[in-house]
Amino acid sequence: MAEILFISLFVLMVLGLPVAFAMAISVFIAIELGSSYPPIVVVKEMFSGLDSFPLLAVPFFILAAEIMTGGAITQTLLRFASQFVGHLRGGLGYANVISSTMFAGISGSALADAAGPGAMMIRMMEKGGYDRSYAGALTISSAVVGPIIPPSIVMIIYALQDQQVSVGSLFMAGVFPGLLLACGSLVANGFVSWKRDYRSSDPRPSKAEMWRNTVLALPALGLIVLIVGGIRGGIFTPTEASVIAVFYALFCGFFVYRALCLRDLPAIILRAALISAAVLLILGAARAFAWVLVIEGLPQFLAETIISWDLSPILFLLAVNLLMLLFGLFMDPLPGVMILVPILAPISHALGIAPDHFAIIVIVNLTLGLTTPPVGSLIFVVSSAVNLRPAALIREMPPFFLANFIVLMLLTFLPALSTWLPKVSGF
Amino acid sequence: MRRLERIFVSINAAVVIGCLSSMALVVGANVALRYTTNHSLSWADESARYLMIWMTFLGAGLALRQGGHVAITNLHDVMTTKAQRLLRTAIVLILLLFFGFMVFVGWEYMQRAQFQMTPALRLSFRYVYAAIPVGFSLLIVHLLLVAKPFILAGHYIQPDGQSDNLPGPANG
Repeated sequence: MAEILFISLFVLMVLGLPVAFAMAISVFIAIELGSSYPPIVVVKEMFSGLDSFPLLAVPFFILAAEIMTGGAITQTLLRFASQFVGHLRGGLGYANVISSTMFAGISGSALADAAGPGAMMIRMMEKGGYDRSYAGALTISSAVVGPIIPPSIVMIIYALQDQQVSVGSLFMAGVFPGLLLACGSLVANGFVSWKRDYRSSDPRPSKAEMWRNTVLALPALGLIVLIVGGIRGGIFTPTEASVIAVFYALFCGFFVYRALCLRDLPAIILRAALISAAVLLILGAARAFAWVLVIEGLPQFLAETIISWDLSPILFLLAVNLLMLLFGLFMDPLPGVMILVPILAPISHALGIAPDHFAIIVIVNLTLGLTTPPVGSLIFVVSSAVNLRPAALIREMPPFFLANFIVLMLLTFLPALSTWLPKVSGF
Repeated sequence: MRRLERIFVSINAAVVIGCLSSMALVVGANVALRYTTNHSLSWADESARYLMIWMTFLGAGLALRQGGHVAITNLHDVMTTKAQRLLRTAIVLILLLFFGFMVFVGWEYMQRAQFQMTPALRLSFRYVYAAIPVGFSLLIVHLLLVAKPFILAGHYIQPDGQSDNLPGPANG
């Protein structure tokens, strides 16, 4: 039955059906042909995948980010980031990475990062004399921090699949790995800019203007402080944080930046609702998909097989890295987490790997999968946003692949990078 | 016809907007109450969850219109125009079949759960589970409305002429 499941999923996805529907259809085909379960069970699984209170954080964080970007925050953050580094060699590249990282503290998704400030940054870099394809590749790489630095959609969903972690602990665990990934992109940008001598002729802004930009950026950066501080201090839960973020974003948009008007609000809410609906639909379908694997006994079988190999924890983690990178070539993080975590997380617990550490490895790997061909959603988003063929972007990617790979290895071999902050935060 | 379609889309959009807004208001009010008065609304969590379920299925059709569901286009991109049209026709047919099947199975599931009550609101589960047959019926209508331009040109057209596509779902 598992073969039917995977083969039909593969065929339907190659045909070009939307992933959520391809997963649901292959589940129906598999249980029709390979079991005596009635199709109604699939509907029940989809519902139980969605009927969860912590999951509410997903639409709320998406809504908060949409409101924030609707309120012209993107421009403010870009100006703030570029005033410190814009005049350096490769300066606009650094500004791209820094603004992406700050934006990661507002949005929980890599694609939103790339489509919003990323696209704007690419135009700015092109005007500053950078190749458009290089600016695009840098944006793809720097967008990876989106779901690693809190808030994070994929972390909320991961925490629902593994009882050993919580959304709060994962949010804390992501802070340093996210910053490290950003550093990786910064170094790669420095190297390429030095080789090609990218520099901007823009003068440095005056002191007064820098102060103004900083003051303007503070409320936007306040959101991440609110989320991380509130969760770390145990003041509120991640779900509460998400709804507080919505009202904070409304407050900023209406009263601080005054770029939001009541008339724009319905369109912003609709956008957030439709993005959430698409995410949640994938989630429901992936839940049914994972359920078929469970009734097939696949997780248990794999767990027993892998444990019988008697791998050391570090060898296991390296194997997981390899598996995830391969999986990430074809699959997006969300279905990846839904399908692989129930299988692999119990094994990692049995081997004594810290649950937060393992989660970060999985999430970083699958997110990096968004940057790799043949199926890399980030590549597609950027290529359609700036009108470039994917191949042109991919050609510029190798320095970033290398930088991200080095960070991945650091994260694999140094668990403290992921586990220290959750530990001192009392998780 | 065009006008009817526009009205249909706006009503659907308004309901989806209502779902997400009331979710935020209910959960927000509950948080505020808990911190200020130490009381909380017993029905808040439950109703927010069910609103989210309704939002998901009612929004699916609109998301489909705007190209919001991720799909892989590698095969599609290497084909000739004629083959592309055939492939897109096949996609539409498979989706229609699947949506119809979901309406049927979802209806059956709804019937079966009608005597169960939700714990806090004391609402029949029928009203929660109805989201699937209703949502997938809407998907059928939306798909039929955009089928022609989709098959011919490969993209979805907004009734009001705007083509503001979603950035793929935020699934990363």
